[in-house]
Amino acid sequence: MSRRARLLVFGLGAAGLAVMFAFAVAGMPPFGTSEHLYRDLAVPAALQHRTANVVSSVNFDQRALDTLGEEVILLSSVIGTAALLRPTRGEVRRPTTRGGHVSDSTTLVSYLLLPVTVLIGLDVVAHGHLTPGGGFQGGVVLATAVHLLYLAGRYESLERLRPLTWYVWTEGLSAASFAVIGLVGLAQGSGFLANVAPLGSFQSLLSAGTVPILNVVTGAAVAGGGVVLLAQFFGQAIGTTRPPTRRSTS
Amino acid sequence: MYRGLASDLAPLAVALPIVMACAVLVVQRWASRRLADLLAMVAAVAALGLSAALVAATKDGRVVTWSGGWEPRDGRSVGIVLVVDQLSAGFACLAAGLTCCALLYSWRYLEAAHGHYHALMLLFLAGMIGFVLTGDLFNMFVFFELMGVSAFALTGLHIEEPDSVQGSLNFALINSLGAYLSLMGIGLLYARTGQLGFAQLGAKLAGHPADGLIVGAFVLVTIGFLVKAAMAPMHFWLADAHAVAPTPVCVLMSGVMVEMGVYALARVYLTVFATSIPAPVVQRAFLTMGLLTAAVGSLMCFAQRHLKRLLAYSTIAHVGLFLIGFALLSPDGLAGVALYVVGHAGVKGALFLLVGLLLDRFQSLDEGKLFGRVGGRHPACWMFLLAALALAGLPPSGPGLGKAITEEAASAAGYPWLSVVFVLVSAVTGAAVLRAGLRVFLGRGHRPGPIEPAHQIGAEPKEPETEHPLRRTPLTMLVAIGALLAGSIVVGVVPALAQAVGRGAVFFSDQAGYFNQALFAVPAAPAPASAAWWSWSGILLGAASTVLAMIIAGISLHVRPPERGHFRSRMIAGVELVRRLHSGHIGDYVAWLLFGAAVLAALIGLPLLP
Repeated sequence: MSRRARLLVFGLGAAGLAVMFAFAVAGMPPFGTSEHLYRDLAVPAALQHRTANVVSSVNFDQRALDTLGEEVILLSSVIGTAALLRPTRGEVRRPTTRGGHVSDSTTLVSYLLLPVTVLIGLDVVAHGHLTPGGGFQGGVVLATAVHLLYLAGRYESLERLRPLTWYVWTEGLSAASFAVIGLVGLAQGSGFLANVAPLGSFQSLLSAGTVPILNVVTGAAVAGGGVVLLAQFFGQAIGTTRPPTRRSTS
Repeated sequence: MYRGLASDLAPLAVALPIVMACAVLVVQRWASRRLADLLAMVAAVAALGLSAALVAATKDGRVVTWSGGWEPRDGRSVGIVLVVDQLSAGFACLAAGLTCCALLYSWRYLEAAHGHYHALMLLFLAGMIGFVLTGDLFNMFVFFELMGVSAFALTGLHIEEPDSVQGSLNFALINSLGAYLSLMGIGLLYARTGQLGFAQLGAKLAGHPADGLIVGAFVLVTIGFLVKAAMAPMHFWLADAHAVAPTPVCVLMSGVMVEMGVYALARVYLTVFATSIPAPVVQRAFLTMGLLTAAVGSLMCFAQRHLKRLLAYSTIAHVGLFLIGFALLSPDGLAGVALYVVGHAGVKGALFLLVGLLLDRFQSLDEGKLFGRVGGRHPACWMFLLAALALAGLPPSGPGLGKAITEEAASAAGYPWLSVVFVLVSAVTGAAVLRAGLRVFLGRGHRPGPIEPAHQIGAEPKEPETEHPLRRTPLTMLVAIGALLAGSIVVGVVPALAQAVGRGAVFFSDQAGYFNQALFAVPAAPAPASAAWWSWSGILLGAASTVLAMIIAGISLHVRPPERGHFRSRMIAGVELVRRLHSGHIGDYVAWLLFGAAVLAALIGLPLLP
């Protein structure tokens, strides 16, 4: 289609959808009312399982099946990216180059922040059932921490300190453990992904049953997945090159 | 509360492929290719067994499983429910069965991208199984995304060819756009009801006349599913994706993933919106869209010479028929569509695998380049021609039976003229496949000229999918093709299957029964015995479309391209115009997606304006 025809079709469609959406939004309940059916169900359910962070209770207890699905989506994207960015026959490893300059202050700050970031990540994961945060958020922080190495120095030092296979295994095993913890509930007769661990006492570190366990598992999966994912892009952008073809040399 | 084994089956069927995919991922670093093949196959067979057990367990109603043990109190729960009836269990069976055949086909030979292929196939399967078994709208969306993500990656697996990545990108972008619209629709519904389960949503909306929010939510939620179902004009991605995807992935996409879009449309409408959006409005809207889809699909199918594209457009044409069958909104119509889907999956899967064989041996997918190269002695020849006739509706094949039952349901719903549409669409698509088979295998008719320069995504694959070009056909590949064909024929020959589907369709369309069983554990009322089987008119119409397909194929083989200015040349120019719309340009596709969504909104919203 010509540019104009495309814009016309798009404009007509977008205008139609906008009218429909306006009608739909007009039918929404007013903002900020006290009436909310799911909240009225979810908060008592969270308290019943001694989970202080209700959002975590919804994510890892009440609707844990959704979270299993989401974690597997992440796993699938990581495997998919690894498959799509794998080195092809035409690509070879780029020879190591010394070059690029990193200022000393950047290096220093990166090294200082590395342990802090790891600690924050672990903290966010470990307290997911008590305070805002959890496995997904903490996992992203942990994956970020590893890449401070890249900021601090050269790509090779990151590569040396990052046995990628381990991260692949972490990711695969932790995604599998999420499902297996679910199956434990099934085997005990309480239902798939049921909260079968001892509930502990409210607001203490050891409370909420399986919620912190699933948080840790998710944190590991997300951290492993994040590292593997970024490694693929790094590998494609920095680590490999295409040997010059005849056309590009002439 | 322990409900016994039956309620464990559904979560097991979802969890098992996930765990096995992780196992494949972990062992693939040091294990041999054969172990990955074996693990994946074991997982697929086990999933097939679990799904089959679910089919047996749902004989007299639905199997309801509350995940996390959050059983409802007074019909309210915070948990996610899986509600399985015979149609959803059957769909899970179909997905697992096709995965088995796809894995058997790729056994040892297909280039596997370091075991990533196996893990992705299992996650794709887990996504599809979860998608059909769930009874919760948001959970359905999660599994929708899972099957999307794994399918995008699988489609682009041949990264050596730039077209492959391009086709996969089109697929991913268009489907993600559809999914975002779905998510907005889910948000609207949740804002109104504070609920996400189908049964709870349906109960909340019951009695409300359709207002702007309900219509908007229905249109938005279904757009994602309709993009997946490749309803025109949101179908453009499908041919691009099929043209480049590895052959076993085509089998899953054409055979079951696309049809799941229609399944989700039917499920969501019948459980959530049936009491608020009047049936005649939905009927008219989807009859219109179905007819458009069938017309575009058949036209484009016949105009193709790239074999995978030809088969892909035939899938679009059949999706049009499935949408028409859904639009009848009767249990018989649904039963017909379900049987049609199963029969079509077997035939289409076999055809894709046969085309894949040609690619692996002759490194081409073009009707002209392959002309007469294979020879009629090869078993593939007769399988291909048989599958073409079955696609056209030859009794007693599965597609023929599905077509016959849907046609009768259409007559019962007051649309006897729809039989003509069914006959024409199956004849034209069958004829296109038959023509290709007669040219490629038997060298009949004249040889088509060289490929026109207009570039299409995936037009000229250069490499076989196997690690080396095949000298002879491996037995595993032939067995996979034979199993698919046999499965398709069995559907049309075994009355018990059709009866089970007929009963399942009654449960599927019973909104009150669904609500009572999901939320209050009220046992389902027994369904009446189904009369879904061959009738004389069905056999005659099936024979008619088969004969018509042969005639059309015969004519197209022996007619030379017309002179310029001739009537037929002007007709071809018309086809060329439609063809040019399928440009491979992602901007075009996005524009058409929004346009289609707006048309659907108008078809449903305008009649309901006060």
